[in-house]
Amino acid sequence: MEKITKSKTDYLIIGNSAAGVSAAENIRKIDKTGGIEIFSSENFVNYSRPLITYYLSGKIGPDRICFKSEEFYSRNNIILNLSTAVTEIDTSRQEVITDRGRKIGYGKLLIASGGKPVIPFTSVTGRNNKAAGPGSEISRLGGLEGIFTLTNLADAVALRRYIEENSISSASILGGGLIGLKTAEAFLEMGLNINIIELSGKILSASFDEEASEIISERVREAGSSIFTGSTIESIRTDGGKIKQLTLTGGKVISCELLVVAVGVKPDTGLVRNWGIKDGQGIIVDEEMRTDVQNVYAAGDVTRSHDRLSGQEKNIAIWPLAVRQGAVAGKNMAGQNASYRGGFFMNSVEILGVPVISLGLSSLEESSSRDIRVYRTRHPEKQVYRKIITRNSRVIGAIFIGAVERAGIYAGLISNEIDISEVLGNISGEDFGILQLPADYKKHLVVGEGVEV
Amino acid sequence: MRERHGEKVKKIFIEEQYCIGCRLCEIYCQVRHSKSRKILKAFRKELQSIVSRVTVEEIGYNSFAIQCRHCADAPCVDACISGAMIKNENTGVVICDQDRCVGCWSCIMVCPYGVIKRDISGRKVASKCDLCFGEEVPVCVKNCPNEALKFTDTDPDTASAKLG
Amino acid sequence: MPLKLDLSEFEVLRDTQKCIECEVCVRQCSNDVHEFDTDDSRVYSDSIKCVGCHRCESLCPTGAIKIKKKDPEFKENYNWSITHLKNIYKQSDAGGVILTGMGSDRPNTVYWDKILLNASQVTNPSIDPLREPMEIKTFIGRKPDMLEIEKGDTGYRIKSQMTPQLELSTPVLFSAMSYGSISLNACRSLAAAAAEYGIFYNTGEGGLHRDLRKYADCTIVQVASGRFGVSRDYLENAAAIEIKIGQGAKPGIGGHLPGEKVTGDISSTRMIPEGTDAISPAPHHDIYSIEDLAQLIYALKEATDYSKPVGVKVSAVHNIAPIASGIVRAGADFVAIDGFRGGTGAAPQVIRDNVGIPIELALASVDTRLREEGIRHKASIIVAGSIRSSSDAVKAIALGADAVYIATAALVAMGCHLCQKCYTGKCNWGIATQDPYLTKRLNPEIGTRRLLNLLRAWSLEIKEILGGAGINAVESLRGNREQLRGFGLSERELSILGIKHAGEAW
Repeated sequence: MEKITKSKTDYLIIGNSAAGVSAAENIRKIDKTGGIEIFSSENFVNYSRPLITYYLSGKIGPDRICFKSEEFYSRNNIILNLSTAVTEIDTSRQEVITDRGRKIGYGKLLIASGGKPVIPFTSVTGRNNKAAGPGSEISRLGGLEGIFTLTNLADAVALRRYIEENSISSASILGGGLIGLKTAEAFLEMGLNINIIELSGKILSASFDEEASEIISERVREAGSSIFTGSTIESIRTDGGKIKQLTLTGGKVISCELLVVAVGVKPDTGLVRNWGIKDGQGIIVDEEMRTDVQNVYAAGDVTRSHDRLSGQEKNIAIWPLAVRQGAVAGKNMAGQNASYRGGFFMNSVEILGVPVISLGLSSLEESSSRDIRVYRTRHPEKQVYRKIITRNSRVIGAIFIGAVERAGIYAGLISNEIDISEVLGNISGEDFGILQLPADYKKHLVVGEGVEV
Repeated sequence: MRERHGEKVKKIFIEEQYCIGCRLCEIYCQVRHSKSRKILKAFRKELQSIVSRVTVEEIGYNSFAIQCRHCADAPCVDACISGAMIKNENTGVVICDQDRCVGCWSCIMVCPYGVIKRDISGRKVASKCDLCFGEEVPVCVKNCPNEALKFTDTDPDTASAKLG
Repeated sequence: MPLKLDLSEFEVLRDTQKCIECEVCVRQCSNDVHEFDTDDSRVYSDSIKCVGCHRCESLCPTGAIKIKKKDPEFKENYNWSITHLKNIYKQSDAGGVILTGMGSDRPNTVYWDKILLNASQVTNPSIDPLREPMEIKTFIGRKPDMLEIEKGDTGYRIKSQMTPQLELSTPVLFSAMSYGSISLNACRSLAAAAAEYGIFYNTGEGGLHRDLRKYADCTIVQVASGRFGVSRDYLENAAAIEIKIGQGAKPGIGGHLPGEKVTGDISSTRMIPEGTDAISPAPHHDIYSIEDLAQLIYALKEATDYSKPVGVKVSAVHNIAPIASGIVRAGADFVAIDGFRGGTGAAPQVIRDNVGIPIELALASVDTRLREEGIRHKASIIVAGSIRSSSDAVKAIALGADAVYIATAALVAMGCHLCQKCYTGKCNWGIATQDPYLTKRLNPEIGTRRLLNLLRAWSLEIKEILGGAGINAVESLRGNREQLRGFGLSERELSILGIKHAGEAW
């Protein structure tokens, strides 16, 4: 990367992850000469945030954690400013100010600063407070060793080091959602014993129903974890600046040498709080990813955008949507029209050898509403569970455990709001396919050339 | 259609009405993606580890064979968290770099055709049609006994000479 | 259950070294010969059910299957052949008429194989068909008694009134195969190939399917005794009309399509209720004399404004010569004669193998008779009944035909392996079936391509043969018996055929 920076650039992007990089890539496809600068507060050229748990466990090394190479930036003439946080945006002057005091003007600005971890407690008391690891919000709690969040690569690096240096043999994870479970899996692979502390009645409560959650809980327990549901941390005891013990809801005390807080993420909109860009929970954008300030766009985990299933604006912080939003923002920034149709929550992960995919409103039951129907296929001996939820003969949610192949067909059905009343017979079966879907749907599933069936 | 060096890029078109459900396409795909590339050796010794990238769907007397459409706007490329799924701008082919794949199955989650498979014979990676790069014509097309798959740059439905 | 000898004709030999248990054979056999046993992880083949259609052998990716002929062996008996024994066993079991498909397979004399062609040498130069013009185009229809030409302002023109003609780019047409006996995909292939090559195909007695309307210009529609599908639309969407009196494979009886094969589409095309047997009566119930035939011929001509040739198809029987003469005098524009070796979708075996006479003899006697009566020009003669190659076609034209009809040859081009089980409706090649699972197997794109290739190949061969004989137009070959010599034929046969024996010169 060149260190030469201009005082003005055509396209200024805050954030070097899915949305920011996708935007830059798409801008460059259209505008071959305009200046593109990306600002990242982190110190890594490029890495994929979802891969940090894989890095943590050692499943992949530092060479495989990036999703774009260094050469990508140079080939596309993208100036990358690392370890440089943008601290202010002056929308009237159309310029930003960095934490090093530099001012840069912009033609178009994209805020793709992503999300930050949710910390469910505001203070921790103990003796001999010491500063905690770098890059962690926990430092704001007055510093403590042994408490980490895990939302960026620096966290993962610090966590690995901490475990090695302190010969950690067990850990607790606050949060039984997808991040918490991936973290648990990483720890299990590293040989640690785990306690998972989950506030609601079951793990994966956001995207799974009772039955699916139970299948995974079973697997997690088999692998050597304890799960405490309906619990949160009431207090933390420390000793010599290091975490020692947790007291959970209901009084249960467990010893703890390492705590990872994985409750969730929320949009990192700190930048825009005082600068006239409307902030609900997430920067509000229209179909072209524009904010309500001229020439300022936003994309990715930092936004609130259209949720196709509820019809409302929501923050859906997942990788594919961030990439798509970044692309749409980039195209519009470079002058080509594009619009974002909206998305819905979906997730795919393999937990302890069991592949798991959830799509849309996957935790609904028939009792949730009159027009909801649920179809299931179960093979408990193979740990297979498939659940399809429909509303008015349209698929609105699905869960797949074990037999996940062809799950994307349902994503297509949800996205395109296809009436599936003709093919309900086998809708949750493992052999459900697209053969019986209407011919014109098969032919035009994805927009673009060369997709004819 | 995208042009490359003056030639139009070819895709596989599916003619559902001619598919006879014999599944020879699946067999030849497996052979092509085996180590030995010889049908007897592949089926005797490698059967557990060769995944067919083309899937034949069959209900009653209707059937068709479907594989990756190499979409222009490929959702799998967006969804891939490791940068393994890439669309080659020149050839138009979407390729999964199995060395980079971490087996998260995000691509499977978004592919509306459901043509990506889990290859769990070794390291768990995603497996899908690669248009048989290296071959002049993909082997599924070449070996279909009823010409239900066509490798061409024009959609056969719009071709002017059409039989009744 | 009484003890019964397995009388099946074929054995499935599976090379287990090559079998990869891919199950393609299991999926493709409509007779359920092959089965995958999940316990043993092997494919087992029940040879008793095999009909010898070679579908599995053709598709096996490793060539592991071979179908072998396997007749049970009885004590040698020239008189009581295995065929006779099998027939009696079957009939004692079931008490019915034994059905069969395709043409007669008996070891009777095939006269084409005993007739030789000439080549020009020394006295006459041969012609190189690739370098000199060679005309194999021909016309079917009534020719005028006399051709008057007059000079007009812009040049010469024909003054005589011309009757409607069919123009053929090569003297071959596709013979009548009804939609019902064969699949729609097969019909599509025939129609498309005929259209592209510049010849004609015949609907047979199955009516005209709406998808084939666009090929009207190359369609000959058949008016058979059952009158299936005959309507104004039918007659309008045709280039010519053929009244079917008889068919070579089953002279004297009408067509038969079992109710199982009369599905929705067939039912609407033939205009009969679904599931009913489509049995054509033996005679046309409105043709009981030659005068009635003349009446029907002219009724059809009136109905179509005399714009299309109207012809008659008959089977070759003993008195074919006077019959043909009568037909020509009744006003037919062409006479189609179907010989005793002709094919069928379903016929009683005893009729197919014993009734009728060979086309070679029928053709020769008809052509001679019509010439003697001075009426040969009033109708074209088209012959059918196992024309197997271009040489058969050339010999037929030399004996007196204007053109030949091919049916079995066309089906073989499309994939038929002559297993002779057409009447079961389980044709594995998608030809003689209406089962939607099976009809997919005949891709009309491929079918058309193969038929075109066949026509092209035969046309080139016809030109080669003609060139070798020093003839440059098929018109000069017609009835040119001098081009033929018999060998191994008796005096009588030679005399009926009207040809000399090999070795005899002019």
